[in-house]
Amino acid sequence: MTSLVTARGVSKQFGRVCAVDDVSFEIEKGRIMGLIGPNGAGKTTLLKALLGLTDCDGELSVLGLDPFRQRKELMRNICFIADVAVLPRWIRVGQLLDFVESVHPNFSREKAEALLKKTKVDKRRDSKVRELSKGMVAQLHLSIIAAIDAKLLVLDEPTLGLDIIFRKEFYANLLSDYFDEERTILVTTHQVEEIENILTDIMFINDGRIILDETMDALAESYVELMTSGEQADKARNLGPIAERDIFGKKIMLFEKPNRQRLAELGELHTPSVADLFVAKIKGVAA
Amino acid sequence: MIANQFALVRREIWEHRSIYIVPMVVAIIMSVTMLAVVIGASAFNKEIEAAIFGASNLVGDAERRFALTGFFAATSWIFLVALAILTVFYSLDALYGERKDKSILFWRSLPVTDAETIISKLLTAVLLLPLVTVAAIIATHFANLIIFSIWVMVKGGNAAHLIWGSLALFDNWLAALIVTLASAVWMSPFVGWFLFVSAFTKRMPLLMAFMPLILIPLIEFIAFRSHYFADAVGGRGDMMPLFRGTDLEGFFDEERLRVNEEVISLLGHLDVGQFLVSPSLWAGLVVCGLFTTAAIYIRRYRDES
Repeated sequence: MTSLVTARGVSKQFGRVCAVDDVSFEIEKGRIMGLIGPNGAGKTTLLKALLGLTDCDGELSVLGLDPFRQRKELMRNICFIADVAVLPRWIRVGQLLDFVESVHPNFSREKAEALLKKTKVDKRRDSKVRELSKGMVAQLHLSIIAAIDAKLLVLDEPTLGLDIIFRKEFYANLLSDYFDEERTILVTTHQVEEIENILTDIMFINDGRIILDETMDALAESYVELMTSGEQADKARNLGPIAERDIFGKKIMLFEKPNRQRLAELGELHTPSVADLFVAKIKGVAA
Repeated sequence: MIANQFALVRREIWEHRSIYIVPMVVAIIMSVTMLAVVIGASAFNKEIEAAIFGASNLVGDAERRFALTGFFAATSWIFLVALAILTVFYSLDALYGERKDKSILFWRSLPVTDAETIISKLLTAVLLLPLVTVAAIIATHFANLIIFSIWVMVKGGNAAHLIWGSLALFDNWLAALIVTLASAVWMSPFVGWFLFVSAFTKRMPLLMAFMPLILIPLIEFIAFRSHYFADAVGGRGDMMPLFRGTDLEGFFDEERLRVNEEVISLLGHLDVGQFLVSPSLWAGLVVCGLFTTAAIYIRRYRDES
């Protein structure tokens, strides 16, 4: 497999604050990587470094390029949606398509038109972005992005503030219209539960450090959730769970690198949700 | 690079519709005012109208040429004032608006460098705005010529001779083009400064742009009793080295009314060569370049989060 993104010892300081602290990771081609972290964890800073929007220390290579110094070359092969609200509000839908077509060598107008036909934006070609609903703006942006033949797509909270129907549709379209084995997606979001079934890889970031970097398959192997109660719970507690919580009088314990046989004797085993694992990991670091 | 510039400048026209709306509105106001004056004079004040018309018929060709040329040149100056105001507002918004509405993140997601983007905004301010202004000047001149011609014809005068024949149109328009473009280039250090402020300020670009122009000379005077800064900035307001002669009074000298020139040439008052070799022009361009470079660096290096 080929690495699309390679980071070694990447750091970014803002004055005395270290937003990204000695981070190393790789993203391989054809993967969908979720970057999950609480507010202020350094997610956006890390993405900006990857996109060449901010300078950083350490070694960072994206598609074999130095993102900050070779930003123009990089942007031919990378797309990003930084936020739902970044399309200029004054521009008309048609003008936006004209502009992207004229500056982006890898943009296919035909594909964008075909994708837009499937959305509500199709009948609003003469509308300005400010006249469209938030959901329509997201559809428009995704249609443009999906029509760009890019190797890497970076999404930073792409569905923030959208209603549940648009959010579901956004990720469904992302998979059907954009993703294939030649393309790679890096996505951050707070709504982990909505993307966990599309991810192939996951990374947790907290206080500028990466505290977990696994494939989703390995995650199911490495972590298990035990539901138990009473004496069994005390026994399980001796096995060193990384987190514990109560639900309806039952204890839910999360184990890393578990002895499944031993745990199975103590109660019911489940694969933990990414959200639960995330909370456990962040609290574990804080404790 | 060139294709990108075309797309980027077109983008500026889409965003800043005032680029063509302001000159159009000025052109319409001036033409309508002229029409109103002519109609008003004809309808309500026969004596004045008779006096004007009589004058236009009776005085000599040279005097009529001078009066018409002067009138049309004055029309052009009004457009230059509108252009100056438009340039201030355009360049102050050029890099501020995109940060305020966060669309900078979208623009920067495309394969366009910060330098290309900012150069397109500089070209818009120093080249496109003046060219649109010249087009509006020519359109207004045409409208006025037609209004005058109809007026003269209604009175039984020969418009072809009295109006069209009395004006060196291409001389007038070429002079308007040269003066307008030269003014924009001459004032380009301010455009550079405005772009810099627009890229730099977090709020109130207008205030941030003009406050230093007032405060720095004040501080300099209090601290050193000198006025180098005020001279350097104020010096741009003096007559451009484009004009022959020293002052406007000389340009529109009473004496000249008596001079029996066959053609009153505006171009004759311009010296493009002298303008192009003027050290002040090049010093200004260097200042413009420095501020523009600084604006590029700010857009490139500043993290907006």
